[in-house]
Amino acid sequence: MRTTGGGRPLIMVVLALLLLVLCTLTLVLGPANVSVSQVFDSIVKTGSDEAVSRIVWGLRIPRMAAALLAGMALSVSGLALQTVFRNPLCGPFVLGISSGASLGVAVAMLAGFGFGCLGVLGSATVGALVVTLAVMWLASRFERNSVLLVAGLLIGYFIDALVSVLVAQSDAESLRVYVAWGMGSFCRLVLDDIWLFFGAVVVGLAFVVCSMRYLNTALMGDDFARGLGVPVRCSKRFVLLGSSLLAAACTAFCGPVAFVGIATPHLAFMLFKTTNCRVLVPGAALCGANLCLVAGLFPVSIPLNALLSVVGVPVILFVISRSAGRGNL
Amino acid sequence: MNLLECKSLKVGYGCEKPALIECANFDLAAGEVVALMGENGCGKSTLLKTLAGFIEPLSGQALLNVDGVSFKNVRELGLRQVARNLALVRMSNVAPARFTVREFVGLGRMPYSGFLDGRSADDERIVESAMSLLDVLHFAERPVAELSDGERSRVYLAEAVAQQVRVLLLDEPNAFLDIPRSHALFNMLRNLAESKGMGIIVSTHSMEYAEKYCHRIMVVDDGNVRVGRAHEAREMGLFDWTERK
Repeated sequence: MRTTGGGRPLIMVVLALLLLVLCTLTLVLGPANVSVSQVFDSIVKTGSDEAVSRIVWGLRIPRMAAALLAGMALSVSGLALQTVFRNPLCGPFVLGISSGASLGVAVAMLAGFGFGCLGVLGSATVGALVVTLAVMWLASRFERNSVLLVAGLLIGYFIDALVSVLVAQSDAESLRVYVAWGMGSFCRLVLDDIWLFFGAVVVGLAFVVCSMRYLNTALMGDDFARGLGVPVRCSKRFVLLGSSLLAAACTAFCGPVAFVGIATPHLAFMLFKTTNCRVLVPGAALCGANLCLVAGLFPVSIPLNALLSVVGVPVILFVISRSAGRGNL
Repeated sequence: MNLLECKSLKVGYGCEKPALIECANFDLAAGEVVALMGENGCGKSTLLKTLAGFIEPLSGQALLNVDGVSFKNVRELGLRQVARNLALVRMSNVAPARFTVREFVGLGRMPYSGFLDGRSADDERIVESAMSLLDVLHFAERPVAELSDGERSRVYLAEAVAQQVRVLLLDEPNAFLDIPRSHALFNMLRNLAESKGMGIIVSTHSMEYAEKYCHRIMVVDDGNVRVGRAHEAREMGLFDWTERK
């Protein structure tokens, strides 16, 4: 698949540069007044100003890492789900996979299965995987795209209901933690957990990337992919496992984050104008990371999901209007 | 040289349902086009899928010549190895909204691509020449979904040519084509067989094209498979089933 415009590497470089700028801004901007050189000093030199160091290492670097990792994870997860289900409106949130992860988190936090952070990540992953399996089963039974989306929404509602039951049973303190978590934010990740989040995202990405050949044929259907020598069943499992893990990690560490997963694959397509996932996976990851970093720059008082909805909803409406015109929905 | 051999092939979906084809014996030689005919639901598509290895035969074997010498069971070959030797082209396949013609034809290099699905300069040259052979270069950047049926059928063939297969199986390629485009398509199939040494099996409902462009005709009638030279088909009674009802 040759790139038709020579502009794709350029767009990729521009996005990467933008990412660097936004990372720097995330480290420099904030309620406390810290200069660029102070930030730099506290990162490279030991024994620099302790207050600055605490702000940079305790608040800003985790926030940057959270936005960066969540953006990449959700975008790649969304792209993979849209490709596998051959549906432009799929995403971890729409299909209920993020809700499944939320249920896992709720069980860990509210029902007293507190195993620390690994436990929250683990139960989020299990929750996400269970929903993914349910969605796969539904998708194999119903060919129609709209049925799958409605089913995903219903699963989401069902899980929210289960969570409400758990909430009603729980004590005040764990309820407070859970409600705060449910808002979705990049400010909750702590320095020690960055590696865990990073590891989960790397593993999830690896699962998706090693099925690249399947992703590039999946839009044509399973028989077509098999005819081109792609081991469909195995690759599909890898992709779905990977995208569940990505969505779960993000939900465990940042709470439910809406719209990034569904919108950024379309942004990447608009920029790169290709169906080749070799371009789209890194492209969507960069778009998502940039989007989340921008959202993270706004004051904490504005809910993250509100910010992302402002960007996400117009993109999705645009996609719906285009797809409906082609009779794809 | 034979490219494909069927030995007492019994075709159908599972043991509970009656078999669609009881016993098929035939070979496909390099450079020939064989028309596959029969009523709707007689098992033409199922036979093609079995030959391509998508469905397991109820008994018997579909054997593929992979190296010019020995024959191997399609079901025992690796998926990639099958894909490098055989392509099943279904024109009824939905054309995805975003694929351009060039990207779609490029999919044909997938059986040769590595882990991350990269493309070499060689691959790009093969794609380019497949597109020029099927005369689709002048709309290479247009989305496949926006093409006419005639243009799309050429794009699908170009994809199979880029795959560099020896055996080409086509499932009703002229179902949606008008008369001039059907003629052009069958002409193209004949050219591909003769110039590239491909063996082609094409299922069709048109006796006219089968007799005019194909070397042999294979008829599936009531679970039996009969094969004959195209110009002798009428004398052999290969078309008797067409006027039975």
